[in-house]
Amino acid sequence: MERRDFLKQATLLSIGGILIPSTFLTSCRKETLLEDVKYEGKVLIIGAGAAGLYAAYILKSKGINFQILEASSNYGGRLGKLDTFANFPIDLGAQWLHGKNSILGDLITKSNTKTTVDESVTKYWFNNQLVTTLPKNIDIFNGENLPDISYSEYALQKGLGKEYKYIIENIAGDQGASASRLSVFGNNQEEENWSSGDDDFKFQETFYDLIDQEIAGLVKDKIVLNTIVSKIDYSQAEIILTDSTNNYFKADKVIITVPIPILKSGDIEFTPPLPKEKITAFSKIGMDAGMKVFLKFNTKFYAQNIVGGAICAAYADESIGKAQNDNVLLAFVMGEQAEYLTALGNNDAITKALLQELDTMYNGQASASYISSHVQNWTTNPFIKGAYSYSKIGIGDARKIACQSINQKVYFAGEAMNTNGHHQTVHGAVETGYREVINLLNDIQK
Amino acid sequence: MNKIRILYFLLLNCISVSGQELKIEASYEYLYADQWDKAIQTYNFSRPFEKEKQPLLSNGINTSISYIFKNEKHFKHGINFAYSFFHSAAGNENFNNNLNLHFVNLGYFIHYENAEKWKGFYSDLIFSGTSSVLLRNVNGAPYRYDNIIAKAFGVGGTVRLKLGYYSTWKNNRCFSPFIAFAYTPYLYAPNNERIINQTKGLTSKNWTGIGMVQIGLTFHLRKQE
Repeated sequence: MERRDFLKQATLLSIGGILIPSTFLTSCRKETLLEDVKYEGKVLIIGAGAAGLYAAYILKSKGINFQILEASSNYGGRLGKLDTFANFPIDLGAQWLHGKNSILGDLITKSNTKTTVDESVTKYWFNNQLVTTLPKNIDIFNGENLPDISYSEYALQKGLGKEYKYIIENIAGDQGASASRLSVFGNNQEEENWSSGDDDFKFQETFYDLIDQEIAGLVKDKIVLNTIVSKIDYSQAEIILTDSTNNYFKADKVIITVPIPILKSGDIEFTPPLPKEKITAFSKIGMDAGMKVFLKFNTKFYAQNIVGGAICAAYADESIGKAQNDNVLLAFVMGEQAEYLTALGNNDAITKALLQELDTMYNGQASASYISSHVQNWTTNPFIKGAYSYSKIGIGDARKIACQSINQKVYFAGEAMNTNGHHQTVHGAVETGYREVINLLNDIQK
Repeated sequence: MNKIRILYFLLLNCISVSGQELKIEASYEYLYADQWDKAIQTYNFSRPFEKEKQPLLSNGINTSISYIFKNEKHFKHGINFAYSFFHSAAGNENFNNNLNLHFVNLGYFIHYENAEKWKGFYSDLIFSGTSSVLLRNVNGAPYRYDNIIAKAFGVGGTVRLKLGYYSTWKNNRCFSPFIAFAYTPYLYAPNNERIINQTKGLTSKNWTGIGMVQIGLTFHLRKQE
């Protein structure tokens, strides 16, 4: 064979050999999960928080009939916005995006949403003075062979005495818990799959705006507000939901996205009752009290972060990352501290207690420059009842059991149902939203 | 050009001293990795805001160099170094997402040819260690979080069976078209889902099996008898 002939044949064979099998093989593989699944039934989503809204968004993209039932008078769940308090908008709920390697990180890039890494500097209230460093290392809650005991107990074991109590309370507060209730082992184990990154981002506008504009805006016509679902009867082929005013809603599938305290406290009655192991699993997932108090001053006398207060273990300069710079200090109060402040009974008393603490730290400057406050107490919201879920001592696989669907009809989403390390977060809630739609469609395919 | 001549001379010299044949390959490679498929499929499912879907990581190119030692008449053995590249790109408004997957294989192989029975055909059975790195590129820049370029490494082992056909040898050189099938039963790549779908443990396992099909052309350079 002549070289020219050989090369010609080899080229033709190669092109044919490449194109034909690759085209055939590639066409056998679908680019999108559950691409061909069609569903004519109706899906009801309970709760218009991040998980419910995202589940709805996915259902809409798949052309599936759905409706969202929301108990409160607005959507967003533990996201909220206040425009009138300062010369910049304030997030009343979730405000930090924890790591950008997430679906919301992609959405931020796509929507050109302005965010900045929160690199604020911390001062510690330690032994009755503000200091920039602590004598002992407090980074003790990560690693191997950690015990299933509370943060406060473990800190004592590691030689962090009573003087570190509220420093540790702040670390636990980041997880939405009291240091006496959060499990060292459980929290560490649950976060093993954390994959979104360690930087915390603040929004120039608000977190709420991102969810509102990019997700909720696409499904808001399907949200029925002020609808408190009190009963779910899934004993028949058709699921019947009853609200607090005895209105009925019918569906073929239900996705429940309500916060874990709503499930724990039995605010929704299930027929037949939920399996015992699921109820036990709910009880193992913690959710403590939580509130955000915004304090407005006429001078900026405070540090960017103040950690270790006995009334509030974490204060943060709210203006960081914002386009304007009104002097707003956020008191981020979690766990037992939030319970204490809630028990004071009214917002004035809460504000007074916080101002007193800041006065102690800053020689009376807080009261002297105080203008106004806004208290957002998530604990007293009857449809939320707390901050966000945390790993109680003995949590084990509770989240995995809690999020399992029932009879291929009832599905569970929401940040507390996130089993891949992103519980407590908005992006974690979003992940459960699409995860449950995948589970639902998989069940249909079966 | 002089550099190429010098390199060529060095290679010839190298073969004449200790080896028998040098093979340089270029090929198209088709990849199937079920767990990475799941991660990309989930990515596409979960992001309706991306109109153009992310293609699966399936089409790539491979290049390799093999060195056959002096050995028995029909059975020979040698070492092989291979590099593969797979690419997946989806262009969307404000969001161009690319996945770049690189493989490096370093292996040992057994070469069989029998001019009397097999005519011009030959086969290679290659056992290699495989390492991979998956990178993401968003809007033309390497994807970063926590100020570090995001990457996911993988490590495993691959067995590859290759069948080729020699064209006419001329001055101890020839080309051979070939087809190869490769199987990686276990590639430990715990962070690939983190790069593809920005999750870990949600869509897929931390390892995957991989099947590959290769079609290409080999250039053979054999020692002067």
